[in-house]
Amino acid sequence: MKKLLLLFISMCLILGCASAANKRSLKDLPKSDFSVEIPDGWWKPQYVNKYLITKDGPFLQYVLIQQRPIDRVFKNTKKKMRPRMLPLESARIIIDEIASDRNIMNFKVIENAPAIIDGHAGFKILFTYKDKKGSEFKTLYYGFINGDSFFNLRYNAATRHYFEKDIADFKQILNSFKLVRG
Amino acid sequence: MKYIAVILAVGCLAAACALPPPVSVPEDLWTEKDEEILWHRAQKEQLVLDNNDWLYRDAEIETYLNEVAARLGAFTDSTDIVFKIKIINDPNLNAFAFPNGVIYVHTGLLARMENEAQLAALLAHEMTHCTLRHSLRALKSKKDPADNMATAGQNRDNVAMLRYLAGILGTNGSMAAVTGYSRRFEAEADRGGLDLMAKAGYDPRQALNLFELLQQEIENQGIKEPFFFGTHPSVQQRIENADRWLANEYLGKNSGLINAEIFRSRLDRLVLDNARLDLQFSRFYIARKNVEMYLRRHQEDADAHYLLGEIFRQQGRQRDTRTAIEHYRQAIVLDPSFSAPHKAMGLMHYKEGDRILAKKFFESCLLLSPDAPDKAYIQGYLKRCINNGEES
Repeated sequence: MKKLLLLFISMCLILGCASAANKRSLKDLPKSDFSVEIPDGWWKPQYVNKYLITKDGPFLQYVLIQQRPIDRVFKNTKKKMRPRMLPLESARIIIDEIASDRNIMNFKVIENAPAIIDGHAGFKILFTYKDKKGSEFKTLYYGFINGDSFFNLRYNAATRHYFEKDIADFKQILNSFKLVRG
Repeated sequence: MKYIAVILAVGCLAAACALPPPVSVPEDLWTEKDEEILWHRAQKEQLVLDNNDWLYRDAEIETYLNEVAARLGAFTDSTDIVFKIKIINDPNLNAFAFPNGVIYVHTGLLARMENEAQLAALLAHEMTHCTLRHSLRALKSKKDPADNMATAGQNRDNVAMLRYLAGILGTNGSMAAVTGYSRRFEAEADRGGLDLMAKAGYDPRQALNLFELLQQEIENQGIKEPFFFGTHPSVQQRIENADRWLANEYLGKNSGLINAEIFRSRLDRLVLDNARLDLQFSRFYIARKNVEMYLRRHQEDADAHYLLGEIFRQQGRQRDTRTAIEHYRQAIVLDPSFSAPHKAMGLMHYKEGDRILAKKFFESCLLLSPDAPDKAYIQGYLKRCINNGEES
């Protein structure tokens, strides 16, 4: 009887671990017009319907990659991107969008500079902000316009400890980014 | 006779619904201990607001607003409340009061006003919420939320910032100030506010003008009703109420302070700063209206010309390009050392393919502002101008 109980507990543990491993996978990432190489240890939370991956949980750090039609309205600013827009101008719209977000406090732009992403002229913005609980986060945001789409890759992490810890992984993802269509 | 009685009864009912009579605070509703707790909570909530980088800090404007509040305060019955006015750097049409007399007014609301009497109307309304202990009464009668807090959720949804404020501060007690009062309390504050501003010597008709001005603004912008008005009674209802009350009480009396000139000269800078926020939110129409109003008084302000140029440029309409360039040029003429219009001109010419003119303006921009935060972009575009569009 004791042996049976032990066997049962072991089976439960194995199944539990297998289930957790199954949850922490990259499956279900949405189909996209780009490809990236994701380093080991990153996984996609199942409840998120975006190209979002994390290592220790999205509240500690995440990488989000988006492709959005340039005429799609933003959540906070009414400004729109346009096909011939210069990177400086599109960066300005992103800054306005974030600055107008009332869930973000103490928003500070540390760096706003041109960047090349997969050979496309774009921008990079490094900024910090606080959430409503007062925790500080740091974001590195890359973006560029290609045709009718605005692509962006952002790395967001708690300023303390996590941002520096995984920045190298993000750079690896960024450098591997390639448009596969369009 | 029967008909007359019915008409009289209906008339009385209508009058009673329109605006309540002036009220005194029902003492049995509160105790000193309750009030102490509420004020303590209000202070904590204010600390959150004050420490979140949301305040518009201009000592001169704050002093002016507090002078108007002090003038009104002298005519209130509550000697225990010391009124203090603070400004929130936000373009929404809003204001709210905490029970301890600290009143927050958004730059968006201040920028829309025309004179000191309208400011007095707003402050008197908020001060009346404090003197009539509306927060405490709302808290005490929470048993009947339908009466007191029903509008809160509705109002919160109107303005993102308020939804956020309510989110971080909670929706109890002193937060009634932020989340909204009941129809009855708002009507009391309307009536009490009109009385107060009139006692302090202001023209109470300006309260009506303020309501009408803001209603026009709401229609122009196609926005939902601003929080200051709440949802009950509606703006239109409040306009009608105030109109009726003014007609009854102030028939034939036209005097009263308005102080339009003093108000405009004191709040000029705030109007321009708020236009920058409106532009950030892409409220081009109101941003343009306010900058043009500012420029009528300060035609030689390079910063305002540059801002107007930005408003025209950022709308992205081809027909506005020339107007934007004109304002940038004007800004450069007025202040040749101001780098921002040089950059804007450089970008416009660069996009039009005029590399020679673009190069000229990018160079002058970098010369005037060698440490500009976005100099890396300018250097890149300049390099392309020199290399005739090719990357070096």
